[in-house]
Amino acid sequence: MTDIRILLVDDEPDIREVVDVSLGLDREFRTRACASGADALVTAAEWSPSLILLDVMMPLMDGPATLANLRKNPRTAHIPVVFLTARTQAGEIEQYISLGAQGVLSKPFDPMTLAASVRSYLPPSAGHHAP
Amino acid sequence: MIKAILLIEDNPGDARLLREMLKDHGAHDAEMTHVDCMSAAEKYLVEHAVDVILLDPGLPDAQGLGAIRRAHAAAPRVPLVVLTALDDESLAEQALQEGAQDYLIKGQIEVRGILRALRYATERKRLERLKDEFVSTVSHELRTPLTSISGSLGLLMGNAAGSLPKPMARLLAIAHTNSQRLVRLVDDILDIEKMQAGGMVFNFSRVDVRPLVAQAIAANRGFAEGYGVRVRLEAARAGADVRADPDRLLQVVTNLLSNAIKFSPADHEVVVAIEKGADTVRLTVRDHGPGIPVDFKPLIFEKFAQADAGDARQKGGTGLGLSIVKQIVDRLGGEVGFADAPGGGTIFHVQLPCWDHVASLAIDRDAKPEALRLLLCEDDLDTALTLREQLRQVGFATDFAYSAGDAFTCAAATRYHAILVDIQLPDGDGISLIVRLRALPQYRDTSIIVVSADTSRGRDDLRSSKLNVLDWLNKPVDFDRLVQLLVGPVAHEVNRRPRILHVDEDNIVARALGEIGDVVTVNSIAEARRALKTSDFDLAVLDVALAKGVGPNLLPELRDSKGNVIPVVVFSADGANLASDTQVQAALAKSHTSIDSLIATVRDRLASRATSSSQEVP
Repeated sequence: MTDIRILLVDDEPDIREVVDVSLGLDREFRTRACASGADALVTAAEWSPSLILLDVMMPLMDGPATLANLRKNPRTAHIPVVFLTARTQAGEIEQYISLGAQGVLSKPFDPMTLAASVRSYLPPSAGHHAP
Repeated sequence: MIKAILLIEDNPGDARLLREMLKDHGAHDAEMTHVDCMSAAEKYLVEHAVDVILLDPGLPDAQGLGAIRRAHAAAPRVPLVVLTALDDESLAEQALQEGAQDYLIKGQIEVRGILRALRYATERKRLERLKDEFVSTVSHELRTPLTSISGSLGLLMGNAAGSLPKPMARLLAIAHTNSQRLVRLVDDILDIEKMQAGGMVFNFSRVDVRPLVAQAIAANRGFAEGYGVRVRLEAARAGADVRADPDRLLQVVTNLLSNAIKFSPADHEVVVAIEKGADTVRLTVRDHGPGIPVDFKPLIFEKFAQADAGDARQKGGTGLGLSIVKQIVDRLGGEVGFADAPGGGTIFHVQLPCWDHVASLAIDRDAKPEALRLLLCEDDLDTALTLREQLRQVGFATDFAYSAGDAFTCAAATRYHAILVDIQLPDGDGISLIVRLRALPQYRDTSIIVVSADTSRGRDDLRSSKLNVLDWLNKPVDFDRLVQLLVGPVAHEVNRRPRILHVDEDNIVARALGEIGDVVTVNSIAEARRALKTSDFDLAVLDVALAKGVGPNLLPELRDSKGNVIPVVVFSADGANLASDTQVQAALAKSHTSIDSLIATVRDRLASRATSSSQEVP
């Protein structure tokens, strides 16, 4: 069995920890966390996660900008990205999908079902790729 | 400092008087623009920044509250002062609720007072805006720590960190429940804020009320059990269809239900009933609670209104539920109210327009028989009705389609003079509707005009495709421009995209030609002949190599249905010309010509063809 790698990007340390524990409820998930978009670009290229869970509002490089940069690098361009957002403006979800995100999860989330929600966005091949 | 005033006033005498008086009273810096109807005001507000609006709500195209609503909708961020001859205290109150900052009565107020009112209105509006922005920011900022708190508590309650001793579990359950209540409160505040800023999108469709109510009851069953309350559904007949946004209507029913449950004593029943009237469907929610105190009745739909300050804590409510209900029902074109129930308790009712009633409005039956018939694809009934009324004045009949599916069915059954498409439709986007319409032979050349509230979306799709859209109008619609488009010869010839027959196998060239016209690409003489039989072309672009030997034979066949010669641009490997035929307007060699200069040549030929009349049969 191969681990499913989830890269979490959020500037709030507490949220990183809560998400980490929540995702840990799925035993196949291995989670790494980054505190900024810039860190995420490096980690994503090195670690090849199966999916990236990306906060929208971050200082310096926000979620959409991070996504755009991930798409520019051939090593990270194909990785599915799901936004995690505290904003709930009308049309926001559509807007993120049009940027190329696989989905949008809202904050606050239900910690007991977060892993299942994330799993639903994984491509069918996830968990079976070579390490 | 007020610099730009927009005066909306249909009485030219009053307008002149006001302008002169303002000048006499030292308002030299203020520039006053005067328009005499609402559609002109809406148009003006799209293009100009205004510091304050002064509105007389008795206009030829909008009256009373309707006028105030439209002015507010056209510029929700601009302060609005009503100036009217009508001294009606209840209208004044409603005007303020609909977004006006002040209500002044002509004859009772002097110019100095008007100037002061304008300044105060501006200040009030500025504070209101600051407050709204503050609410929006704070609500967002609250969600971040709440995410950590409710997430951690949720994990503990789910035993993700091991099982908990009972007393600890009890305290954590209290913390968890209350963190979720805080989340709901923040959501409600954001909803209210969004609705006031006009940022909430409503997607209208046909909704059967019965299953929707059943769904709301099922979702609240656990909540009701917590209070020891039963919920019963009484639905007279099936088929109570309304026109609504199902998600928003669900929010309305859920809020009414949870209120009724919270205020019911244990072991009592909440009864939900659905009744179908002639034009409306009426939904009632009856509780057996203590009833609404008399003093509180006028305040019940206000924000943060709660009969008893202790209620919020006791009942776990936010004080925003009914205010949200009221705002949603207003937007749905319905009505909400309440009454004391016989034998105690309260009955809330929501009345919504029946689908049948709305559907019966779809066909314009009151227009003159000779009127040209238009199809308007628009999901907002009020907008559609207003536009129909305006179009009727200039001699058009307007049918409505509330969805892309409707529009396609209507278009297939009736031959319309022109079609107006809103890009955002509940069941799909306008662009794909246009694609489907264009595939119908009778609508290949019909004028299609896009009407959109979204100034950015889809424009590129239109430009780069062969949809042949006559124009793109932003909401609110510039009515004069619309009429110009509908009546002018524009609609048929001048703006029609040229049609180009492209005899070649080169995809890049085909795509480039697609920028300037509708292109039919064929790669054999036989296909070219077939295309010529079924369509008229304005120009042909020919690769002679492909048409080798047959090329010269094809030339005489390049004529439109009237027998006019179709001019030809040859674009081939060697640039070989087909003799000095006058029909061939240019011969370009692929090796020496960039795509851009080919396009320039084609454009040039098309332009000269459009100005001189087409060539006669020799």
